[in-house]
Amino acid sequence: MAGLMTRWLARLEDTLLVLLMLALILVAAYQVLARNLFDGGLLWGDALVRVLVFWITMVGAMVASRSDEHIRIDLLARFLGPRTSAVTRRLSAAFTAVICALLGYYSLDFIRFEYEDGTLAFGSVPAWLCELVLPVGAFVMALRYLLMTIWPAPLPKPATDA
Amino acid sequence: MGIAGIAVLIVAALLGAPLFALILGGAMLGFLLADIDLAVVGIELYRIVDTPMLVALPLFTFAGYLLAEARTSERLVALVRALVGRFRIGLAVVAFIVCAVFTALTGASGVTIVALGALLLPALTSAGYDRQFSLGLVTSSGSLGLLLVPSIPLILYGIVAQQMNVGEPFAIVDLFVAGLLPLLLMLGVLIAYAAWRFRGVSLPVQPFSLGALGSALFAARYELPLPVIVLGGIYSGLFAVSEAAAVTALYVLVAEVFLYREVPVRALPQIIVASMKMVGGILLILGAALAFTNFLVDAEVPQRLFELSQEYIESRWMFLLLLNILLLLLGAILDVFAALVIMVPLLLPVAVEYGIDPVHLGIVFLANMQIGYFTPPIGMNLFIASYRFKESLLTLYAASWPFMLALLAALALITYIPWLSLVFVR
Repeated sequence: MAGLMTRWLARLEDTLLVLLMLALILVAAYQVLARNLFDGGLLWGDALVRVLVFWITMVGAMVASRSDEHIRIDLLARFLGPRTSAVTRRLSAAFTAVICALLGYYSLDFIRFEYEDGTLAFGSVPAWLCELVLPVGAFVMALRYLLMTIWPAPLPKPATDA
Repeated sequence: MGIAGIAVLIVAALLGAPLFALILGGAMLGFLLADIDLAVVGIELYRIVDTPMLVALPLFTFAGYLLAEARTSERLVALVRALVGRFRIGLAVVAFIVCAVFTALTGASGVTIVALGALLLPALTSAGYDRQFSLGLVTSSGSLGLLLVPSIPLILYGIVAQQMNVGEPFAIVDLFVAGLLPLLLMLGVLIAYAAWRFRGVSLPVQPFSLGALGSALFAARYELPLPVIVLGGIYSGLFAVSEAAAVTALYVLVAEVFLYREVPVRALPQIIVASMKMVGGILLILGAALAFTNFLVDAEVPQRLFELSQEYIESRWMFLLLLNILLLLLGAILDVFAALVIMVPLLLPVAVEYGIDPVHLGIVFLANMQIGYFTPPIGMNLFIASYRFKESLLTLYAASWPFMLALLAALALITYIPWLSLVFVR
């Protein structure tokens, strides 16, 4: 059951990321061409592009947290080699889970302010809808790192297949 | 509580916690101590949306991943070889140039060594260059090109520096203009070293032939407009950097998937996910750093750092020398993106007080990082090369130190002659 949920979430993230990226490429390129060729472009296009970048950031970061591939200062790990103990990885995952949970919790406040104010992001799209990916992403990452605290992730792959 | 918080952060850092969590933790701690509602952290992160420049990052990164997936590197080598292969150390020159271009396009994430190493190392050794020289060349050139358009670390430096709003204002494109002469200088020094190393040695050359050039040009026909779009568009001012990124991403997508048909459509999702996973990680760190920087500025940390440094460092030249040493060390320890978001907010205000131009600082910063990538004992590219070429780290240290000396000489000139960076900018 848990395995099924994980796979389902991973597929959802991947699909969302691909759609966001394709939308980003098309809208951003359309804006440039329209601006230079016929001095036009979508009125809300630039704002949409910037929101898309934010969504790509959060969903990309969620994907990176799946197998704990976030950038770190792995000074100790490079000295100790791959034999760093499960304990250190558990502690670092626990720390990350707490930070992500705090981020998720407090960004809910931020979104509530925006909801109450009725701020618009672009067109008639409310700002809180664009910002929703922030707490969702933070909580998903918190959950993943919590799970890694209990069951440490497999060792990260060598940096070579970047 | 402040001390306990800092202790937790340091322990977490030593344990290898992700950088974004460390910086977020630092920002949260700072705001907590200053009695500011933590909701501000979310607001600060969302400021990614107020930075239009950032759109260049996902677009250029995606284009780079696509190019790495297609056979662009082979075509690039064939083309540059047809152009300069007739010279005595032509192949070494080819290798330097190709590495620089490829690193600029793909970011210095080690892709250059992985993608081009397999191509260049056998080519170099079979053309009579000894294995030690060839290994050193490929290892040390894996980060060459950090100063060339559209290098993502340089864009990121610009974004972080502009955020600080100190010193003379500049546009991102100024950084790319400023990077031109320093990059040419580095290439010149490396080529001079290669020429000196093989003085009097007869190496087989590839005689110039119009036919070979023609077929290399024809093979690269769909990719030839790319440098025109990126270099021409940006340097001429026709496109903003983010606009050039949009056109590049769409163009590369069409060229590799539909014209060359080297990247099947069904491979696209996996390429998008792999590249955006990296971009998400970098931008999340950047967003966290924006929040943290605000806290630092509020707490007047850069100001205090300057006062402290003034007690010990009197002249600008002394400052630059210490800066070089610090950055070389950091470059060997930290990922370039991590170093940028952590160090630029601290160093830039201090550097400006010493009369250093923000554009010059950016070039010096990245020139140092570039060398740090293969600085013993733990520069990242040494490990990637060791893994890729199945050579011991010691072999790679021995192979790459002459290149390091050559680049250090170039670095000294870049650092102490600001004119090299600023002549076309100011």
